[in-house]
Amino acid sequence: MLQHEILSHVAQYSAQLDGLFVALADPTRRAVIRRLGRGPASVGDLAGEFPMTLPSFMKHVRTLESNGLIRTVKSGRVRTCVLNRERLALVDGWLAEQRRIWEERTDRLERFVTDPKESRQ
Amino acid sequence: MIPDLDLSLERVIRASRTTLWSAWTDPSRLERWWVPAPTLCRVDRLDVRPGGAFVTRLSDDGVVFVPHVDACFLVVDELERIVFTNAIDSAWRPTNPAPLPMTAEITLSDHPDGTDYRIVVRHGDPAARVRHEELGFSTGWGRCTEQLARLAESEAAL
Repeated sequence: MLQHEILSHVAQYSAQLDGLFVALADPTRRAVIRRLGRGPASVGDLAGEFPMTLPSFMKHVRTLESNGLIRTVKSGRVRTCVLNRERLALVDGWLAEQRRIWEERTDRLERFVTDPKESRQ
Repeated sequence: MIPDLDLSLERVIRASRTTLWSAWTDPSRLERWWVPAPTLCRVDRLDVRPGGAFVTRLSDDGVVFVPHVDACFLVVDELERIVFTNAIDSAWRPTNPAPLPMTAEITLSDHPDGTDYRIVVRHGDPAARVRHEELGFSTGWGRCTEQLARLAESEAAL
Protein backbone atom coordinates (compact mmCIF):
# COMPACT_ATOMS: atom_id res chain seq x y z
CA MET A 1 0.00 0.00 0.00
CA LEU A 2 2.66 2.47 1.08
CA GLN A 3 4.93 1.36 -1.75
CA HIS A 4 2.05 1.72 -4.17
CA GLU A 5 1.29 5.25 -3.01
CA ILE A 6 4.92 6.30 -3.23
CA LEU A 7 5.32 4.82 -6.71
CA SER A 8 2.15 6.45 -8.04
CA HIS A 9 3.22 9.78 -6.54
CA VAL A 10 6.66 9.42 -8.10
CA ALA A 11 5.13 8.51 -11.49
CA GLN A 12 2.82 11.52 -11.37
CA TYR A 13 5.60 13.86 -10.31
CA SER A 14 7.93 12.41 -12.92
CA ALA A 15 5.36 12.91 -15.72
CA GLN A 16 4.92 16.55 -14.67
CA LEU A 17 8.68 17.06 -14.63
CA ASP A 18 9.07 15.50 -18.09
CA GLY A 19 6.53 18.01 -19.47
CA LEU A 20 8.32 20.90 -17.80
CA PHE A 21 11.73 19.81 -19.04
CA VAL A 22 10.40 19.50 -22.59
CA ALA A 23 8.95 23.01 -22.30
CA LEU A 24 12.28 24.33 -21.02
CA ALA A 25 14.43 22.46 -23.53
CA ASP A 26 13.97 25.15 -26.19
CA PRO A 27 16.08 28.34 -26.22
CA THR A 28 13.17 30.55 -27.36
CA ARG A 29 10.94 29.26 -24.57
CA ARG A 30 13.70 29.74 -21.99
CA ALA A 31 14.19 33.31 -23.25
CA VAL A 32 10.44 33.94 -22.86
CA ILE A 33 10.61 32.63 -19.26
CA ARG A 34 13.58 34.92 -18.55
CA ARG A 35 11.79 37.89 -20.09
CA LEU A 36 8.61 37.21 -18.08
CA GLY A 37 10.73 36.98 -14.94
CA ARG A 38 11.01 40.77 -15.22
CA GLY A 39 7.21 41.14 -15.35
CA PRO A 40 4.14 40.37 -17.52
CA ALA A 41 4.25 41.21 -21.24
CA SER A 42 1.85 41.10 -24.16
CA VAL A 43 2.23 38.41 -26.82
CA GLY A 44 2.78 41.16 -29.39
CA ASP A 45 5.64 42.76 -27.46
CA LEU A 46 7.23 39.38 -26.73
CA ALA A 47 6.96 38.22 -30.35
CA GLY A 48 8.73 41.38 -31.50
CA GLU A 49 11.85 40.30 -29.57
CA PHE A 50 12.24 37.03 -31.48
CA PRO A 51 13.18 36.57 -35.14
CA MET A 52 10.23 34.37 -36.16
CA THR A 53 6.70 34.62 -37.48
CA LEU A 54 3.82 35.20 -35.08
CA PRO A 55 2.28 31.73 -35.69
CA SER A 56 5.66 30.07 -34.86
CA PHE A 57 5.98 32.19 -31.76
CA MET A 58 2.43 31.32 -30.69
CA LYS A 59 3.35 27.62 -30.75
CA HIS A 60 6.00 28.29 -28.11
CA VAL A 61 3.53 30.31 -26.04
CA ARG A 62 1.01 27.46 -26.18
CA THR A 63 3.66 24.89 -25.11
CA LEU A 64 4.60 27.05 -22.13
CA GLU A 65 0.96 27.56 -21.26
CA SER A 66 -0.04 23.88 -21.58
CA ASN A 67 2.77 22.91 -19.22
CA GLY A 68 1.62 25.56 -16.77
CA LEU A 69 4.83 27.60 -16.89
CA ILE A 70 2.94 30.71 -17.97
CA ARG A 71 -0.67 31.92 -17.86
CA THR A 72 -2.19 34.12 -20.54
CA VAL A 73 -5.03 36.56 -20.04
CA LYS A 74 -6.89 38.21 -22.90
CA SER A 75 -8.12 41.74 -22.40
CA GLY A 76 -9.73 43.26 -25.47
CA ARG A 77 -7.33 42.58 -28.34
CA VAL A 78 -4.25 42.17 -26.16
CA ARG A 79 -3.14 38.80 -24.77
CA THR A 80 -0.85 39.18 -21.77
CA CYS A 81 1.57 36.47 -20.58
CA VAL A 82 2.40 36.03 -16.90
CA LEU A 83 5.04 33.72 -15.44
CA ASN A 84 3.79 30.96 -13.10
CA ARG A 85 6.56 30.92 -10.50
CA GLU A 86 5.06 28.00 -8.53
CA ARG A 87 5.39 25.78 -11.56
CA LEU A 88 8.98 26.83 -12.10
CA ALA A 89 9.65 25.94 -8.46
CA LEU A 90 8.67 22.34 -9.28
CA VAL A 91 11.71 22.15 -11.57
CA ASP A 92 13.92 23.34 -8.72
CA GLY A 93 12.11 20.86 -6.46
CA TRP A 94 13.84 17.72 -7.79
CA LEU A 95 17.20 18.89 -6.43
CA ALA A 96 15.69 19.71 -3.00
CA GLU A 97 14.13 16.25 -3.02
CA GLN A 98 17.49 14.58 -3.77
CA ARG A 99 19.10 16.63 -1.01
CA ARG A 100 16.42 15.49 1.46
CA ILE A 101 17.03 11.84 0.49
CA TRP A 102 20.79 12.16 1.06
CA GLU A 103 20.41 14.13 4.32
CA GLU A 104 18.05 11.52 5.76
CA ARG A 105 20.27 8.70 4.55
CA THR A 106 23.23 10.32 6.33
CA ASP A 107 21.11 10.72 9.51
CA ARG A 108 20.40 6.98 9.47
CA LEU A 109 24.05 6.10 8.79
CA GLU A 110 25.14 8.36 11.66
CA ARG A 111 22.65 6.76 14.07
CA PHE A 112 23.74 3.29 12.91
CA VAL A 113 27.50 3.83 13.39
CA THR A 114 27.18 5.72 16.69
CA ASP A 115 24.70 3.34 18.34
CA PRO A 116 26.67 1.28 20.92
CA LYS A 117 24.31 -1.69 20.44
CA GLU A 118 25.07 -1.78 16.70
CA SER A 119 28.83 -1.45 16.99
CA ARG A 120 29.05 -4.61 19.13
CA GLN A 121 27.54 -6.69 16.34
CA MET B 1 30.01 21.49 -8.43
CA ILE B 2 27.36 23.20 -10.53
CA PRO B 3 24.94 24.82 -8.04
CA ASP B 4 21.76 24.19 -10.06
CA LEU B 5 22.60 20.53 -10.65
CA ASP B 6 24.71 19.27 -7.78
CA LEU B 7 24.42 18.91 -4.05
CA SER B 8 27.01 18.50 -1.33
CA LEU B 9 26.80 17.78 2.34
CA GLU B 10 29.39 17.51 5.05
CA ARG B 11 29.12 16.14 8.56
CA VAL B 12 31.44 15.15 11.39
CA ILE B 13 30.35 11.71 12.55
CA ARG B 14 31.53 10.35 15.93
CA ALA B 15 32.76 7.05 14.57
CA SER B 16 35.99 5.82 13.01
CA ARG B 17 36.60 5.66 9.28
CA THR B 18 36.78 1.85 9.64
CA THR B 19 33.29 1.72 11.17
CA LEU B 20 31.86 3.96 8.42
CA TRP B 21 33.65 2.00 5.71
CA SER B 22 32.18 -1.26 6.97
CA ALA B 23 28.67 0.32 7.18
CA TRP B 24 29.02 1.09 3.45
CA THR B 25 30.73 -2.08 2.24
CA ASP B 26 29.26 -4.92 4.36
CA PRO B 27 25.87 -5.87 2.81
CA SER B 28 24.28 -6.83 6.15
CA ARG B 29 25.27 -3.42 7.57
CA LEU B 30 24.33 -1.36 4.50
CA GLU B 31 20.84 -2.92 4.63
CA ARG B 32 20.34 -1.47 8.12
CA TRP B 33 20.47 2.22 7.11
CA TRP B 34 20.24 2.50 3.30
CA VAL B 35 16.41 2.98 3.15
CA PRO B 36 13.97 4.55 5.65
CA ALA B 37 12.08 2.16 7.99
CA PRO B 38 9.65 0.45 7.85
CA THR B 39 10.69 -0.28 4.25
CA LEU B 40 13.18 -3.17 4.13
CA CYS B 41 16.32 -3.19 2.03
CA ARG B 42 18.01 -6.20 0.48
CA VAL B 43 21.49 -5.86 -0.99
CA ASP B 44 21.66 -8.05 -4.09
CA ARG B 45 25.18 -7.13 -5.15
CA LEU B 46 27.86 -5.06 -3.47
CA ASP B 47 31.05 -5.59 -5.35
CA VAL B 48 33.04 -2.69 -3.93
CA ARG B 49 35.74 -2.15 -6.55
CA PRO B 50 35.95 0.03 -9.67
CA GLY B 51 33.44 -1.37 -12.19
CA GLY B 52 31.77 -3.47 -9.50
CA ALA B 53 28.00 -3.86 -9.15
CA PHE B 54 25.86 -2.00 -6.61
CA VAL B 55 22.32 -3.42 -6.63
CA THR B 56 19.71 -3.00 -3.89
CA ARG B 57 16.00 -3.86 -3.62
CA LEU B 58 13.13 -2.60 -1.45
CA SER B 59 10.22 -4.30 0.24
CA ASP B 60 7.24 -3.17 2.29
CA ASP B 61 6.16 -6.64 3.39
CA GLY B 62 9.45 -8.58 3.47
CA VAL B 63 8.12 -10.88 0.73
CA VAL B 64 8.05 -8.90 -2.51
CA PHE B 65 11.26 -6.98 -3.23
CA VAL B 66 11.18 -4.34 -6.00
CA PRO B 67 14.20 -2.80 -7.79
CA HIS B 68 15.82 0.18 -6.07
CA VAL B 69 19.41 1.00 -6.98
CA ASP B 70 21.16 -0.53 -10.01
CA ALA B 71 24.50 1.21 -10.21
CA CYS B 72 28.20 0.77 -10.76
CA PHE B 73 31.22 1.73 -8.65
CA LEU B 74 33.66 4.02 -10.44
CA VAL B 75 36.32 4.64 -7.81
CA VAL B 76 37.03 2.78 -4.58
CA ASP B 77 39.90 3.98 -2.35
CA GLU B 78 39.95 1.75 0.73
CA LEU B 79 38.77 3.67 3.84
CA GLU B 80 38.89 6.96 1.93
CA ARG B 81 36.53 7.27 -0.99
CA ILE B 82 33.64 5.60 -2.81
CA VAL B 83 32.29 6.90 -6.13
CA PHE B 84 29.34 5.27 -7.87
CA THR B 85 26.93 6.19 -10.65
CA ASN B 86 23.51 5.04 -11.87
CA ALA B 87 24.18 6.48 -15.35
CA ILE B 88 25.46 3.00 -16.17
CA ASP B 89 23.92 -0.01 -14.47
CA SER B 90 25.59 -3.00 -12.79
CA ALA B 91 26.01 -4.65 -16.23
CA TRP B 92 27.71 -1.46 -17.54
CA ARG B 93 24.70 -0.65 -19.72
CA PRO B 94 24.01 3.09 -20.16
CA THR B 95 20.71 4.01 -18.48
CA ASN B 96 18.48 7.03 -18.10
CA PRO B 97 17.12 6.76 -14.53
CA ALA B 98 14.51 9.17 -13.13
CA PRO B 99 14.60 11.93 -12.25
CA LEU B 100 18.16 12.26 -13.59
CA PRO B 101 21.34 10.20 -13.70
CA MET B 102 23.80 11.01 -10.93
CA THR B 103 27.29 10.30 -9.66
CA ALA B 104 27.75 10.16 -5.89
CA GLU B 105 31.16 10.69 -4.28
CA ILE B 106 31.56 9.80 -0.60
CA THR B 107 34.79 10.91 1.07
CA LEU B 108 36.03 9.95 4.54
CA SER B 109 38.84 11.76 6.34
CA ASP B 110 40.08 11.84 9.94
CA HIS B 111 38.68 14.45 12.30
CA PRO B 112 39.53 14.99 16.02
CA ASP B 113 35.92 14.01 16.88
CA GLY B 114 35.70 11.02 14.53
CA THR B 115 35.31 11.22 10.77
CA ASP B 116 34.77 14.13 8.40
CA TYR B 117 32.10 12.62 6.15
CA ARG B 118 31.45 14.38 2.83
CA ILE B 119 29.10 13.68 -0.04
CA VAL B 120 28.97 15.31 -3.47
CA VAL B 121 26.17 14.22 -5.80
CA ARG B 122 26.54 15.37 -9.40
CA HIS B 123 23.39 15.20 -11.53
CA GLY B 124 22.92 15.08 -15.30
CA ASP B 125 21.55 18.05 -17.14
CA PRO B 126 17.70 18.03 -17.27
CA ALA B 127 17.88 19.43 -20.82
CA ALA B 128 20.07 16.47 -21.88
CA ARG B 129 17.36 14.08 -20.68
CA VAL B 130 14.81 16.01 -22.68
CA ARG B 131 16.93 16.07 -25.84
CA HIS B 132 17.32 12.31 -25.49
CA GLU B 133 13.57 11.82 -25.08
CA GLU B 134 12.73 14.13 -27.98
CA LEU B 135 15.08 12.15 -30.18
CA GLY B 136 13.32 8.94 -29.10
CA PHE B 137 9.97 10.54 -29.71
CA SER B 138 10.80 11.73 -33.20
CA THR B 139 12.30 8.36 -34.19
CA GLY B 140 9.17 6.58 -32.95
CA TRP B 141 7.00 9.10 -34.70
CA GLY B 142 8.92 8.65 -37.96
CA ARG B 143 8.47 4.89 -37.80
CA CYS B 144 4.77 5.32 -37.08
CA THR B 145 4.32 7.63 -40.08
CA GLU B 146 6.24 5.21 -42.28
CA GLN B 147 3.92 2.34 -41.27
CA LEU B 148 0.87 4.50 -41.84
CA ALA B 149 2.17 5.49 -45.30
CA ARG B 150 2.82 1.84 -46.17
CA LEU B 151 -0.65 0.86 -44.98
CA ALA B 152 -2.22 3.71 -46.95
CA GLU B 153 -0.26 2.75 -50.08
CA SER B 154 -1.22 -0.93 -49.83
CA GLU B 155 -4.87 -0.02 -49.39
CA ALA B 156 -4.72 2.39 -52.31
CA ALA B 157 -3.35 -0.44 -54.45
CA LEU B 158 -6.38 -2.65 -53.77
